[in-house]
Amino acid sequence: MGAELVAEGLTKDYGDLLALAPLDLRVTPGERVVVVGPNGSGKTTLLRMVAGLLEPSDGTVTIDGHPAGSLPARGATCYLPDDPVLYDDLSVAEHLEYTARLHGRHDWEAPAATLLEQLGLTARSDDLPSRFSRGLRQKTSVALGLIRPFSLLLVDEPFVGLDPSGRQALLAMLDELTATLVVATHQMDYVARAERCIALRDGAVTYDGPASGADLSSLVG
Amino acid sequence: MDEAGQVLAELRTARRRRRTARIDTFEAFYRAYLTALGLGLAVLFLSNLTGDTRLRPATLASIRTHGPAIVGLALALAVAVGLRSGGRGGPLVIEAADVRHVLMAPIDRGLSLKGPAVRQVRFALLIGAVTGGVGGLLAFRRLPGVPGAWLACEVTVGAVGAATAVASAMVVSGRRWSRLRAGVLALAIVAWSAADAALSWRTSPVTLVGEIALWPLRFRPAGLVGLVGLLVAAAVIIIGLRGVAGTSLEASERRASLVGQLRFAATLQDVRAVIVLRRQLALERPRARPWFRLRPVGVRLPVWRRCWHGILRWPGARLVRLVLLATIAGLAGVGAWRGTTPLIVVAGLALYVAALDAVEPLAQEIDHPDRSDSYPRPAGALHLRQLAAPAVVMVGVGAIAGLAGYLATGLALRALVVAGVLIVPASLVALSGAAVSVVKGPPPPLSPQQWMSLETAGIRLAGRLIWPPMLAVLGLLPLLAGRSATHPVPVVAAAGTGVVIVVAFAAAWVRFEADAHAWWTKTVASALWAPSSSPKG
Repeated sequence: MGAELVAEGLTKDYGDLLALAPLDLRVTPGERVVVVGPNGSGKTTLLRMVAGLLEPSDGTVTIDGHPAGSLPARGATCYLPDDPVLYDDLSVAEHLEYTARLHGRHDWEAPAATLLEQLGLTARSDDLPSRFSRGLRQKTSVALGLIRPFSLLLVDEPFVGLDPSGRQALLAMLDELTATLVVATHQMDYVARAERCIALRDGAVTYDGPASGADLSSLVG
Repeated sequence: MDEAGQVLAELRTARRRRRTARIDTFEAFYRAYLTALGLGLAVLFLSNLTGDTRLRPATLASIRTHGPAIVGLALALAVAVGLRSGGRGGPLVIEAADVRHVLMAPIDRGLSLKGPAVRQVRFALLIGAVTGGVGGLLAFRRLPGVPGAWLACEVTVGAVGAATAVASAMVVSGRRWSRLRAGVLALAIVAWSAADAALSWRTSPVTLVGEIALWPLRFRPAGLVGLVGLLVAAAVIIIGLRGVAGTSLEASERRASLVGQLRFAATLQDVRAVIVLRRQLALERPRARPWFRLRPVGVRLPVWRRCWHGILRWPGARLVRLVLLATIAGLAGVGAWRGTTPLIVVAGLALYVAALDAVEPLAQEIDHPDRSDSYPRPAGALHLRQLAAPAVVMVGVGAIAGLAGYLATGLALRALVVAGVLIVPASLVALSGAAVSVVKGPPPPLSPQQWMSLETAGIRLAGRLIWPPMLAVLGLLPLLAGRSATHPVPVVAAAGTGVVIVVAFAAAWVRFEADAHAWWTKTVASALWAPSSSPKG
């Protein structure tokens, strides 16, 4: 079951630079939302604030009523960043084991094997990610995100660096999810798979409506 | 231990096991050997350079009266630095992967951060103890008292001071106090200590800790009040460790990235990159508006004006740092003049660090070589011109150092004259050191050093890193030449003239280094690859 995401007057500034203008947002449980916009429009800032990695300059953001970054919100929220950050001294399998266990999941072995299989990482499970290409690191990051329980998935540019098979695998995984999904992307073909599209420009919302009715070229260009 | 704690412990054990397996035993022993050798040489150097002249009774009486507050002021400054660091999210440096995978997991952050926090306090205790130990080593040679007592007291005060500074940062970052609030608190603590020093009070907790530093010189029952200072320090350390769970994730992630780069730059001995990253870590950004705007004068003096455009955008923190470094240089210079010879190194290093800030216009140019390449003049000529404005800044720094020295000697006319003679050569030679460091840059990745033995390559690398700051120390040697002379001013002036020659050599090096390097590379290449003149067969 998905979580409800509510942002009220959510703002982020860095001194003179306004990264996100006051934003009000409600994403209902199980909803699939895609966030689009040109570079520097505030997509990543929004996702990172919902994940609790960035602190709002003003306003609030809650996940199922819990403030972002709080213990229950961290349990509910999974954030897949566009820059995979992994330990240099743990293998892929060890990453999966400890991530699952840190999130209280005991039955991690079978799901981990399935994820590795789906992402084509089975043969690399004992390798250290420090020797991986960008794409393999991204796949490992995806596996780490999906091995743990969550009810809100935040994904930032998920397809960057993935090969066609990895991309197909990720699309299939995202389609199967019942969790609330917020995806920030420049991939216009993915927008059609979402129910709702939010467009940002210079930190402000310029469109919030059905993904199918959105004039994407004007929103992203 | 609960389940989360168990998983965390297992995660850390697995990582440690993997890291340990990667360690090359021979290399580890070699590093230990080099460290021991370096420490041994440092101790030998300090022991031999410390003046053995016992202080006069009047000076001893002054130290007894003002010593605790002066030591307290130094501790207060350390705590103030800690508080400022806390205002920017320090002092913890958490790995980026730990931020993403451990701190974002639904487990108590206090549990996750306790280990790194305790390690950081432990490291501060060690560094403080070593620093205090060196202080004790210097103290017992010139002051009465039992050597063991000096060492024990200074080690205690150093360790407690450093740990309190780190814990103060944890108190601030754990409670998410703003930079302004942390800054005001830091200022209040320093002001309290300064008032103690000026009025010979013993009211601030850091002054009370300073009382312990002087126990070997004068122990009296009333001095036991110093233990109250230790109790306050212990309380700060406990509060800091307990509140560490509140550390900002945003600051942790930013610091994780910057500190990783900082360590890499330090490994490469890239001084310039270290400075730039340290500024980013300290959130030290150029001002959006300059302190004041230069009047437009057309196209005249473009390099000079470009330098001042940059300097006039320096943030207030950098200006304060320059004033502090100048003050340290001035006070250390007075200490060296009065007989504590090693303080000449402290004074020289303070001027060198200030010069690394002052030389920023040249460093900016070196950071962007495409700009100087597009300029229709030799790069060396441009680089030399870019030292004019920093030279003015450094003479200002030197003047502040001289003023600090003049005030510290109780407005002695001789101090004013000596400072007046030495300001320009000492400031310019420090700037020369910084300019040489910036122009030379980090050691190239592929160099003939690879064909040297480890020891030779190591010594060469260390020399490359050490000789620019040594230039700055060299600029202050006239102080040592003049301090024992009957008429010191002419001696200092003569030695200062010698220092100016060093400045001239450094300027010539900056001007012609690129040309000489190009000529040398071309000559070597032509010698190695030139076709043989004698035909085969």
